[in-house]
Amino acid sequence: MMTDSIVPVKEMEDRMDTDKMWVIMGPQHPFSHGLWTLKVQLDGEIVTDAEPIVGYLHRGWEKETENRTYPKIIPMADRLCYAASMTYTHLYCMTVEKALGIDIPEKAKYIRIVADEVCRIQSHLMWLAAVGTDLGNLTVFLWCMREREFFLDLNVKLCGARMTTNYPRIGGVRNDTTELFDRDIIRAVDRFEKAMWDIIALIDDSSIFVSRMKDISFLTREQCANMGLTGPAMRGCGVDFDIRRDDPYDNYDQVDFEVPVLTKGDSYSRYMIRIEEMFQSCDIIRQAVKKIQALGKNAPYRIKTPSKVPAGTAFTRLEDPRGESLMYLVSDGTDKPYRLKVRSPIFTNVSTSKAMCLGCRIADVPAILAQIDMCLGETDR
Amino acid sequence: MAMKYLDKYPKNLAKSLWVLKPCWAVMKLFAKTVTHRSMTILYPYEKEWIPDNYRGRPGLRFDKCVGCGMCVRMCPTACIKLIEVPDDEGKPVMRPQVNLGRCAMCGYCAEYCPLDAMTVTPDYELAEYTRYDLLYGPRRLNYEGTTPGMEVKLEVTLPSDIENGNPERRVSFFDLDRPELTDSKCIGCKKCAKVCPVNAIEMVEKGVNDKGKPILRPVIDNSKCICCSNCVLDCPKDALQIKEVL
Repeated sequence: MMTDSIVPVKEMEDRMDTDKMWVIMGPQHPFSHGLWTLKVQLDGEIVTDAEPIVGYLHRGWEKETENRTYPKIIPMADRLCYAASMTYTHLYCMTVEKALGIDIPEKAKYIRIVADEVCRIQSHLMWLAAVGTDLGNLTVFLWCMREREFFLDLNVKLCGARMTTNYPRIGGVRNDTTELFDRDIIRAVDRFEKAMWDIIALIDDSSIFVSRMKDISFLTREQCANMGLTGPAMRGCGVDFDIRRDDPYDNYDQVDFEVPVLTKGDSYSRYMIRIEEMFQSCDIIRQAVKKIQALGKNAPYRIKTPSKVPAGTAFTRLEDPRGESLMYLVSDGTDKPYRLKVRSPIFTNVSTSKAMCLGCRIADVPAILAQIDMCLGETDR
Repeated sequence: MAMKYLDKYPKNLAKSLWVLKPCWAVMKLFAKTVTHRSMTILYPYEKEWIPDNYRGRPGLRFDKCVGCGMCVRMCPTACIKLIEVPDDEGKPVMRPQVNLGRCAMCGYCAEYCPLDAMTVTPDYELAEYTRYDLLYGPRRLNYEGTTPGMEVKLEVTLPSDIENGNPERRVSFFDLDRPELTDSKCIGCKKCAKVCPVNAIEMVEKGVNDKGKPILRPVIDNSKCICCSNCVLDCPKDALQIKEVL
């Protein structure tokens, strides 16, 4: 076990009088999963400073929304993050609904929960595949992508598209659940839970993986609070907070689930939280599908909304697969938003990379930063 | 509720069979792939099954379209344009042309089409040699074998219906909305009557003004109107407004 990976940096400096070196990883680096740069300062092999540089993918998303009518922003919100498209469209629709002051039908709420959890599972599988390649195990990558395909097929079944789903609407969802969707999703979830144990056996029972994640890159609760770390990474550091449970939106208070929390705060616990979250998502899906079936086929799933949003502001937050995402809408009474601000969880999570990497070896940096689950589309917007 | 994974892990690796377990998982898959069908497909020869509602390129049923331009206005990437083409009898009509180089396959054109002339199609193999070839004209947009499942219905429930205890009634989004005239603003310019794609607006004489000329006012035939809001957008004095029924 690599318990010695945190070497006292100060002592090293005193002992050896060597120059420190800045190494620039990225924007085209296999670990970066997108266009961003991590500048790391090295003392031998030990990281003494790190600085993330983002902004290569800036598209002016927030400004662009100001020229579009409200429904036209939904397909744009898909493109914030291709792995979490469902949660971002959901978040946007919730924000506009809050500004309109309307309550959407029960069935739409449960369908959104199902869609969100499917999105969470496939996003976490995408992350696990990335972890597999970062740590040099291509089998994990292939198996995770194979499992992810079943959930993308569910997206196709539900709304006709695999990744840029464009499914939630202001006032509900685009269409009702299609025929046999309930059956298919329960089958997919059952199958996934069995198949997941094989992937877990590849990682957790293999010391090659575990020794590269265990006992490195410790973060404390105080550091999480100070740097704004959210999501599974925060729960791996001992902060017991999940918006789905503590500030429930869209009937999440009606379903029963556990929020996994680990107090250790190392890279491995952040990994474990995400694996457990996938199993909890399966439970949520099963309960929500039962609720949808109980509501019946003819229950309303979308209500009509006015095209103009009254002047005012609205603010909602939501538990994204990667953390806490937030939208703030300023409306001036027309059919276009005056301002739409997005808080991306990754933008703040990646700013913790200095604290995460400090004192670790350069070879561990990809393994540590894989736990952030980097997505540049939403970071740079 | 209990944790499924965290109750079993982390394990003490020194005690577990840390070499054999991953090997066993891989061997299991090997045995499975020998006896079962493989996960991969030979793509150009075999294709994956896709459902009817798959959102590929947009398709158009030429005879159903009236050229109202709803798809043009709703398209988020502005890839649709109305162009003049001859119809079956040789008369020039306005029909949408889609630039698939810009199309985001969001399905809004099919969703907001008041007559369901635009549909989504399961056609996703769209590679061409030049950008010009990506322009799909109205005739080329036609998709052979369009089924009713490819129509995207914009069905909503009215909030007033839910309040009145009738939540199972579905209406089309624009079925009940109709343009409403503010009489004092209207100057009788006949623009709305000219622009209406379904000829639902008729200019009716309503008395004479001070100079002895007839006062023309649009009268909207609600059964013909499809609420495309062309008249609202073209009105020079903002006399017409869509009245939303909620």
